[in-house]
Amino acid sequence: MKMILILAWRNLWRNKRRSLITISSVFFAVFFAVLMRAFQLGSYQNMVDNIVGSYTGYVQIHHKGFWEEQTLENSMEYTDDLKNEVLSIDGVTGISPRLESFALISSGEQTKGTAIIGIDPEKELERMDLKGRLTSGVIFSKDDPGLMIGEGLAEYFKVEVGDSLVLLGQGYHGISANGLYPIAGILKFANPELNKSIVFMPLSEAQYLYGAMGRLTSLTLQIDENTDFRDVVRKANAELDTSRYEVMGWEELLPELKQTIEADSAGGQIYLFVLYFIISFGLFGTVLMMTAERRHEFGILVAIGMKRRILAAITMVEALMMTILGALAGGLAILPIQIYFKMNPIHLLGEAGKALEEYGFEPIMPTSTDPTITLSHLGIVAFVALLCSLYAVVSIYKLNPMKAMRS
Amino acid sequence: MAMIPKVAWRNIWRQRVRSSIVILSIALGIWAGIFLVSFSYGMNDQRTQSALMTSITHLQIHDPGFEKDNHPSFYIKDTGGIRSVLDTSTLVQNYTTRILLNGMVSSPVSASGVRIMGIDPRMEAATTIIEEDLRTGDWFTSEKKNRILIGRKLAEKLHLDVKSKLVLTFQDDQNNIVAGAFRVEGIFKTSNSRYDESTVYVRKQDLESILGWPQGRIHEFAIVLKDREQADPMKQVLKEEFPKMTIRTWKEISPELGYADEVMAQMLVLFIGIIMLALSFGIINNMLMAVLERKKELGTLMAVGMNRRKVFKMIVLETIFLGLAGAPIGMLLGSLTVRITSRTGIDIGFLGQGLESLGISTVVYPEIPSYFYWLIGSMVVLMTLLASIYPARKALKLNPIEAIRSI
Repeated sequence: MKMILILAWRNLWRNKRRSLITISSVFFAVFFAVLMRAFQLGSYQNMVDNIVGSYTGYVQIHHKGFWEEQTLENSMEYTDDLKNEVLSIDGVTGISPRLESFALISSGEQTKGTAIIGIDPEKELERMDLKGRLTSGVIFSKDDPGLMIGEGLAEYFKVEVGDSLVLLGQGYHGISANGLYPIAGILKFANPELNKSIVFMPLSEAQYLYGAMGRLTSLTLQIDENTDFRDVVRKANAELDTSRYEVMGWEELLPELKQTIEADSAGGQIYLFVLYFIISFGLFGTVLMMTAERRHEFGILVAIGMKRRILAAITMVEALMMTILGALAGGLAILPIQIYFKMNPIHLLGEAGKALEEYGFEPIMPTSTDPTITLSHLGIVAFVALLCSLYAVVSIYKLNPMKAMRS
Repeated sequence: MAMIPKVAWRNIWRQRVRSSIVILSIALGIWAGIFLVSFSYGMNDQRTQSALMTSITHLQIHDPGFEKDNHPSFYIKDTGGIRSVLDTSTLVQNYTTRILLNGMVSSPVSASGVRIMGIDPRMEAATTIIEEDLRTGDWFTSEKKNRILIGRKLAEKLHLDVKSKLVLTFQDDQNNIVAGAFRVEGIFKTSNSRYDESTVYVRKQDLESILGWPQGRIHEFAIVLKDREQADPMKQVLKEEFPKMTIRTWKEISPELGYADEVMAQMLVLFIGIIMLALSFGIINNMLMAVLERKKELGTLMAVGMNRRKVFKMIVLETIFLGLAGAPIGMLLGSLTVRITSRTGIDIGFLGQGLESLGISTVVYPEIPSYFYWLIGSMVVLMTLLASIYPARKALKLNPIEAIRSI
């Protein structure tokens, strides 16, 4: 065995150039497969960050059954215990409490039904970029009875900052929830749906309006950038009383986004198939040529009495060594590129880029630096490389030493 | 001078294995490029088409007032004139007419705002694909009055099922609130759950009797063209005939679909770029192997007096010949693949649940504009040529004496 290893190692360096070409085939295979997948997964991550990060949040906690039936009867009490328990979970950097319920809004002749969302402005300031979205007026303070509405909604009612809107709704335990509120600020949301429907109110005021003092419909968690939201969901489920609360990650909250990504990913996998097809062929070509070039050498070895089994073992070990060297080098070389494009993503050009921006998406294609991408593709490429080198083994067994030596 | 091409040509056929590997990798590269472009093109086209064919169609005609206000009194006055133009136009495949109302649907559980589409079931089914999106129940087969089709999302929200009763409330053209009781006949699910939540279909004549309208009064013409790229010319034709109407193409109604195309196109360029790079490194490797294994032969040629320029020329010419042999094979393979798969379709359902649950067909029918064949073919040949320069330069640097001595 040791002999085989030594021979294989020496063979490798006896013809450096040839080995380097094979190693570089493996190198480029890993390099391009990871590059492609990193771009694909990176764009999905960007999509999720844009949609989830700005409003829904990666993880939400509700009263059990709220998501199924979103009424105030399924709201929960906002206790210090709950707050402390949630904040003590690893990876949770902050929480934003919200109370959300349906109401009719009217001004003059016009009426429209929409959701009224009670928020704590200080907690949402950064997440929703309230300052950046403000087109006129001010951001209401915590206990200032005012509204912040979407620009589209303001246009619909033809109202400005300082005008008032009438709210008509049903509160907790069926009490009537009516009020007249001045508009404190107007916000511009890139997403046209949000822009046409959003109405914010200070949390305490919303609780008062709906007769739901101290209650919330959802608690949205801010999560540390490097923490997987699934871990947070798991830990929260372990910490909290799951007969009272439900913990949901964005994949559950926005199943359609997940499906869209999956659908797109299916197309992306076809690209990967094709890429692998080309990579495999490139590798196979190299092995094929290498074997052809070494026929003479193999012929002599077999003629002087080397067992074909051992010769085959040596070539396999050579292939294994070259694969490992190439794959490792490829995995290392792609890393700085992954990091570079994550920091400096490719910008989409033209009208499309601008349109995406208007819809609230950053028009960029960053890469993902998830190490599992590299690991899984290392595995696949190594497998393909070893499969290709089986050709050498087969041809050794089929070799006719006399003919081979004459070639 | 004609000697060098001749030598190059013979060299190719002297080494069949080596040459066929290079030829095959060129052919595969072209095949992969053609396949990927046609696959993405087909997938994109289907996505756009299915999004348009649910209800938007390619062209819509409205009264200018309706566009701004959506008030039911802005119905189209000259329906007869428009009909006769559409019936005789060669660009038009089909069209449907609709009454559009904004209203509220109430069930015993809850209420929700909806757009009510008053349709002629026969015309609608012939024009759009909404009938195919029906998941349970029937498409207005019952002769009974006041039947309604609702989306699955709305059905879930209001706890409705086939045969459930609900009430539609809306404003008529005199601003009176009118209502009608309807029975659910079917439930549809499109790829757009927002649409499913906010759209209901009823028969036009049922609305006519509630509104007290004469037969044939409508708000909208929705027109499907034989080729959706003809939307602009058709719009011009209609604009000249009916200068007072608002006529909009699908790109104006739903610009995001056009942008989605463009974004996809830009991502495609990146992915194809990666694949082409992977391919060219494969070719470079194979060429490098092919040239450098011929060390002895090239050394001999130089030793007997062939100058370096001619050696360089010979190797580049060999590559051109290989490229010219590979390109037609690749183009032929590509066109065969496209021709076959465009008929049979490629089912990518196994790649992800996402597509199916989104309501997008999982079968992709590739198609490709013919100039892409030449574009991809010449790109790959050009790349092969570039790939040969490095090995050819390497060959120039050989020392004839050393080269001859090598085994």
